[in-house]
Amino acid sequence: MGKVFDPSLILEFIPTLVKYLGVTLEILVASIFLGTIIGIAAAIPKLFHIPIVKQLVTIYISFIRGTPIIIQLFLVFYGLPAVLSIINIDISRMDALYFVIITYSLSNGAIFAEIFRGAISAVEFGQTEAAYSIGMTPFQNFTRIVFPQAIRVAFPNIANTVIGSLKDTSLAFTIGVMDMMGRGETIIAATAHALEVYIALSVVYYVVVLILEKGFKVFEKYANRYRGTDTSVA
Amino acid sequence: MVIDIPFIWVAFKEIAKAIPLTLMLAIIPVVIGFFIGLVVTLIREYKVKGLYSIANGYVSFFRGTPAIMHIMLIYFGIPMVLDSIINSLNLPYETNKIPIYLYVIFALSLTAGAYLSEIIRSGISSVAKGQMEAAYSIGMSTPQAMGRILLPQALAMSIPNFTNLSVGFLHTTSIAFLVSQKELTGMANIVASSNLKFLESFIAAGLIYWGISIIMEGIYYLIEKRVQQYSKGGVA
Amino acid sequence: MISISNLHKKFGKNEVLKGINIQIDKGDVISILGPSGSGKTTLLRCINYLERPDEGTITIDDVTIDSKKVHKKDVYQLRRKSAMVFQSYNLFQHKTVLQNVMEGLVVVQKVNVKEAREIALEMLKKVGLEQKVDAYPLQLSGGQQQRVGIARALALNPEVILFDEPTSALDPELVGEVLDVIRKISREGITMIIVTHEMNFAKEVSNRVIFMDGGVVVEEGVPNDIFRTPKEDRTKQFLKRMTPELEYSI
Repeated sequence: MGKVFDPSLILEFIPTLVKYLGVTLEILVASIFLGTIIGIAAAIPKLFHIPIVKQLVTIYISFIRGTPIIIQLFLVFYGLPAVLSIINIDISRMDALYFVIITYSLSNGAIFAEIFRGAISAVEFGQTEAAYSIGMTPFQNFTRIVFPQAIRVAFPNIANTVIGSLKDTSLAFTIGVMDMMGRGETIIAATAHALEVYIALSVVYYVVVLILEKGFKVFEKYANRYRGTDTSVA
Repeated sequence: MVIDIPFIWVAFKEIAKAIPLTLMLAIIPVVIGFFIGLVVTLIREYKVKGLYSIANGYVSFFRGTPAIMHIMLIYFGIPMVLDSIINSLNLPYETNKIPIYLYVIFALSLTAGAYLSEIIRSGISSVAKGQMEAAYSIGMSTPQAMGRILLPQALAMSIPNFTNLSVGFLHTTSIAFLVSQKELTGMANIVASSNLKFLESFIAAGLIYWGISIIMEGIYYLIEKRVQQYSKGGVA
Repeated sequence: MISISNLHKKFGKNEVLKGINIQIDKGDVISILGPSGSGKTTLLRCINYLERPDEGTITIDDVTIDSKKVHKKDVYQLRRKSAMVFQSYNLFQHKTVLQNVMEGLVVVQKVNVKEAREIALEMLKKVGLEQKVDAYPLQLSGGQQQRVGIARALALNPEVILFDEPTSALDPELVGEVLDVIRKISREGITMIIVTHEMNFAKEVSNRVIFMDGGVVVEEGVPNDIFRTPKEDRTKQFLKRMTPELEYSI
């Protein structure tokens, strides 16, 4: 902290940090994508009450929701190589980035599973009955009637999860990933201007979040057009 | 590499000593943040001149940046501000005597305030409009209607969100180890590196967090059941 | 054409249907009357296999299902022969009025989109909603939603349309428009089974009335007989309560 605060450094640091935004976004996009797949896979046993698998999924979700992301990160970072070494696979030299992506995918998967399950149960059963009454199969009912409505219910929560996940990527540096935050730490080590670096980082994160929020809002408005009761009411 | 299962228990006992600090770092900011959130909500609901845009900016920024930034900005920023005040007034204080956990609590209180303001606001918007009108119709003033009619219902409806936020904050305290706090994660880190048993230590820490989270959820569940009895409806 | 025999249904220990036998001919408009809890709605839902009966067979046209051996395929076949109009409309909320009516045609009956659109528009015209084709259900009044529900059922050109208290969820001033639509289509020779509490409507529109109570068919016959000269005491009591203005000899 020794050095005098120099606001001009903030502007100087921002371009350097933005160059590493790509890594941050890579973690985000990969973990949201994989998390969605895990989330769907984990929601199915709960929705269809598949015994044993359902209980296992419940424990998985409870554990993820019950522990900090940083602990999950350390567990994957130290635990995965240990587990895989039992079957003679050595990943101890794997890039830290992949450990981060695995952790965040597992974390998002648990959150998505809960979101999907909640959203699907939120669609009124009358919709399913109507689908059956016109002769649809359960599969047609799910893909054409239930899922499109559920995804709209889930959307605000999904958006929140994406934004939360972006903010969580700021912890990836703790296992040595050179993302925006990691780069920030190296600047601090070199210049000792910690406050300026953190202000610069905050600005970049904030701007990215604002852009994401704006994008989600536009999409949500479009997706919810059928909910408006104020247009063309008889 | 083999997992040393007995060591998990050893680590568990050692790390568990950090539970009080963790709970302090988790609970105090949520309590302070609740009052910040309440004030901010009222400012935003009543569009108080001058403060309105500050309140909006505060909520937006703190919700839009990682909590670790808040801790770092406060941890590095506040001493700088205080030092310049102390130097210019020649006061006999030293900022490096301030314990770090106070910075953490201050930073996380601001974080919690921003999130709680949104929670309280959405709680208020979920209370039917007719409730305020009914309160006015029997002659209540706005503060009376707010305090006796609107807020109690809004807060009761917000309990699930409070639960999520509190558990979330328990987890957020884990980043305090980055400013060398010996809370659960910090302690786990120490136990891990001094015994070179990383996995075992973090398993133990994970179990402790998990346990506290489940207990917290249970407590909130009981509160929710008690508080929301009126909304159960039922056939009369 | 439709035949229901020995239909039984229990919910837990509560036996809601205790052996129902009904024959319905093509073009019949049947009203099912009876106090709440008499099993009318359950009967209707069993005909569409939204509820699975515990015992008995249901035949519509050439599809017969015995509750003892139910195959998925038969259930789909049966549902294709029938269409349901729900008390709470159950329109697909994420689809426009037109899409709601087209959905079954395109997805289930595999009609091509162009043709489906024509059929849907024709049906919407029939229920007087050709102006609202692009509206979403939540933008419509209850009466309009129910008319879309009727159009959705009509579009499938089913052997029978099942109406489950189609006006019970509506504000009184909206009941008329829905009854008018049902009245209109009842003259087109479409077989209909209507569960309703609208006594005057049932009397006017149907050619046969079934009175149910306690899970059994108490009495059935042409409206004039049932409303004017009911034979069973339970029917008399029910009608007395529901239609104090109707006169019948004792």
